[in-house]
Amino acid sequence: MTLDRRKLADHAAGWGFAAPAVVLIGVFGLVPVVWSFALSFQHTDLTSPGTFAGGENYAKLVADPLFWDAARRTLVYVALFVPVTLALALPIAVMLNQRIRGVVLYRLAVSVPLVTSTVATGIMFSWLANPQFGLVNAALDAVGLPKQGFFSDPGQALFAVVAMTVWGWLGFAVIIYLAALQNVPRDLLEASSLDGCGRARSFWHVELPLVSPATGFLLVWLTINGLQLFDAVYVTTKGGPLRATTVLVYHLYNEAFVSFDGGYAAAIGCAVFVLIAAFTLLQLRFNRRSHYEVR
Amino acid sequence: MAHGRGLSRRTVLTMGAALVMTAACGTGSGGDGKVKVWHGYTDKEAAAFDKLAARWNTTHPDQQVELVFNGGNDNALQKTLASFASGNPPEVAYQYGSSITGLTGRPQTQDLTDLLRGDAAFGWDDLFPAGREAATVDGKIYGVPALVDNLSLVYNKKLFDEAEIAHPTESWTWDDFRSAARKLSGDGRFGWAYVNDGTEDTVWRFLALLWQAGGDLLAADGKKAAFDSDAGLQAMRLLRDMAVTDKSVYLDAGDQQYLNLFNSGRVAMLWTGPWDLGSINEDVSYGVQILPGRVTHATIAGPDTFVVFGDNGRTKALPFLKWLLSAEIHLEFAMETGHLPIRQSEVDLSGYAEFEAKYPGTKVFVDNLAKNVTKSRPNIPQYPKISQVLGTAVQSVLLGQAEPEAALAQSRGEVDQALAGS
Amino acid sequence: MRRPSALHLVLLPLSVVMVTPLVWMLLVSVSTQAESRRFPPGLPSGIEWENYLAAMRDAPLGSWLVNSFVVSVVCVAGNLVLCSLAGYAFARIRFLGGRVAFFLMLATLMVPFQIVMLPLLIMMRSLGLVDTLGALIAPNLATAFGVFLMRQFFTTLPRELEEAARIDGASRLRTLLQVLLPLMRPTLATLAVLTFLQTWNDFLWPLIVVQSPDAMTVQLGLQSFQGAHTTNWPKLMAGTVLSQLPVLLVFFFAQRFFVRSVAAAGIK
Repeated sequence: MTLDRRKLADHAAGWGFAAPAVVLIGVFGLVPVVWSFALSFQHTDLTSPGTFAGGENYAKLVADPLFWDAARRTLVYVALFVPVTLALALPIAVMLNQRIRGVVLYRLAVSVPLVTSTVATGIMFSWLANPQFGLVNAALDAVGLPKQGFFSDPGQALFAVVAMTVWGWLGFAVIIYLAALQNVPRDLLEASSLDGCGRARSFWHVELPLVSPATGFLLVWLTINGLQLFDAVYVTTKGGPLRATTVLVYHLYNEAFVSFDGGYAAAIGCAVFVLIAAFTLLQLRFNRRSHYEVR
Repeated sequence: MAHGRGLSRRTVLTMGAALVMTAACGTGSGGDGKVKVWHGYTDKEAAAFDKLAARWNTTHPDQQVELVFNGGNDNALQKTLASFASGNPPEVAYQYGSSITGLTGRPQTQDLTDLLRGDAAFGWDDLFPAGREAATVDGKIYGVPALVDNLSLVYNKKLFDEAEIAHPTESWTWDDFRSAARKLSGDGRFGWAYVNDGTEDTVWRFLALLWQAGGDLLAADGKKAAFDSDAGLQAMRLLRDMAVTDKSVYLDAGDQQYLNLFNSGRVAMLWTGPWDLGSINEDVSYGVQILPGRVTHATIAGPDTFVVFGDNGRTKALPFLKWLLSAEIHLEFAMETGHLPIRQSEVDLSGYAEFEAKYPGTKVFVDNLAKNVTKSRPNIPQYPKISQVLGTAVQSVLLGQAEPEAALAQSRGEVDQALAGS
Repeated sequence: MRRPSALHLVLLPLSVVMVTPLVWMLLVSVSTQAESRRFPPGLPSGIEWENYLAAMRDAPLGSWLVNSFVVSVVCVAGNLVLCSLAGYAFARIRFLGGRVAFFLMLATLMVPFQIVMLPLLIMMRSLGLVDTLGALIAPNLATAFGVFLMRQFFTTLPRELEEAARIDGASRLRTLLQVLLPLMRPTLATLAVLTFLQTWNDFLWPLIVVQSPDAMTVQLGLQSFQGAHTTNWPKLMAGTVLSQLPVLLVFFFAQRFFVRSVAAAGIK
């Protein structure tokens, strides 16, 4: 524990480099977060001054079946959304990292959903998945498969939302993976192919480990955003049918905006926070371990 | 679709009475002394509104108004709340009727009861009741009506003729309606469309059915649910019979394709308001009739309100709003936009015949205002919660997932709980 | 690597699926209003350029685009500089409180924005930034997203590179600027593009913090094409296409930076 000169220099340098960003993010990010944490201990309907509520909002949370339903749906959603996106993105990124004709156009095409607004995406998907008149059911019908309800069917709506958001985030994940693959030294790949490593083996033994920081980043990032799913639900199902897509942040939105129970909504927000923080810590820890394996 | 936190489109903020309350409640009007009026009008509505405001400004140099687009009415409430927090609220903001209970009780929001009721020249009682009720909470008036709509039956004449069904009449019953819808269905076509997203869009059509059957949403004292009644059961059963048994109803999941389907001849009848008439394609010949009836032919109004904030709102903005709602000026606005008249005396003006000639489809809606808009949604803080509960109940019946009796019983329990809870 | 034909079989259909909405937007943007109001939809009978003219004529699209551009470019610059510095520090320097600071930074992303928005607004007010472009820039000048991204990618660079430079007597900053960052070009391009996108497409925050038309961004402004009850879809889509062209262009030109330069790739 002796703070020798070199360590002191490290502390100074570390903060010197990190301080500008940390200060900005701290001021504009952390202060509002702490503020909303304080709100979760108040009764506040937004139309009158808040009063101290102690743990009542949290007691209500524990007893609220809608909260638990929403939490369960959110977890189901994330458990599908994150792995499916990752599993699709990496092979696509590897393909787009090849020197083939037209690869720039393919990369652009894959990035289009990133550029497209959620509203336009929602309209498109509702339209394609319309049970009576949509293209997807027309295609199913043409090959003799039964028509589906998609967003209109309480049993399918959450999966339709998964499909839509995977589509929306795929380009993002592909871009991150592409950047990571670009960082993989090309001579390493070429060496492995000279060794007679098959394409598949080189993928498993060279590329996959080397993109693991990117995978770690995407895991955390997609989970953070997946657990806060709202927009895609708002523009397609409005939490329905029969609450089948009422995920946590949608429930929060209802409580905050529709019922004006601000303190309770803040408590839901804090529950979301705890959930995300737990996942993130877990993933960062796992991620760190996998780094050491690579080295 | 995008990454990151800031991208929530149309998401709603809200939170924090503490925040809102700690924020100073000043109502800063712009440095130029103009009072700000936030609105969501676009296209020809915006043009007509701009024109009137410009005229007002030339004659009222001390009470000039500045019209500011609010980013869309869907976001009006959250933007207004945010403006309280940022200490720079407008003097007037256009709000959906249901939003007013979220604004009353704040220091910015102004009680205008004396200024409006006490002003004989303005004629508060001449305004159609639906608009007045939407601006009133607990007997106090917080704004003036901006728009008063209601639902009527809009039908495709050609589809009726092809199926050799007589066009709807004023005395159409639920049975006539159901049987026509059934005959008009099949072969990729539906007799009726129902917005089934579980929001207020789902609920208000059900309320019209409930009232038609002679029922009511809440007991007279407003403390208990009253819709789990014989009338409520009849209304739910009609929905079940048509959607589940006859399959004559296109269930719109909320993407509002119903109107496009109507334009394409895939849906024969709509229960909708005058706002949709302008979007019906020219090649579709349509008729408008009052809603079918059971005990009554009740319909429901969907009023929007200009809510007034701050002292400048009372003194400088309210005179503008009063002028805007005077019979002659509002008729001028209606002529350019197709909005329904907002006060009874407007209909008696000599220029009104011209309005009727220009917008023939609106006559039924205007008559409705006087005859069939007999009840309104309760303006209480618990209404949004009640609406959510009922929306789910109606949805479960339409989807065939619950029997009418069970859906009513369950939602009654939840509504009673919401009413008792606060 | 030398069998492109097989990859095309996968990539071509994939691309079609990904660009569908863009194609749809383009189609609607040249339809007549009546055509846009049919369902199921059909192809437009002709090309209505008038929608584009109307979108440009009826609204100050130009000044909205300029505002969006200023905000996005400043935020991209801020993120490239600040997130590189911080990402490097978190990846490569063990310093007191570093890990706590890193986690707290991530923590700012874990509470739904709907809740933190009003506190943020009140802060903007005390800084006097409400209703200015500054309010759109300040919270996005450095993002936890950027720091996290850069930190992750710095860990992929071999440590030896840095150590060699340090032994030669180069300072940390010089090593970062002259040795490490040139290797990170694909990552920096990614950060730039994603930051640009995020600020360009942001809607909710501008909605509540901007009031006057002078400070409107293009996403906010486009709302004025969307009526309360009826929307002129062809005009809205024409405006949307116009507003997304710059983003696609940024993407297109960033492509060449996505590919690591030959010289950089030579370094081991």
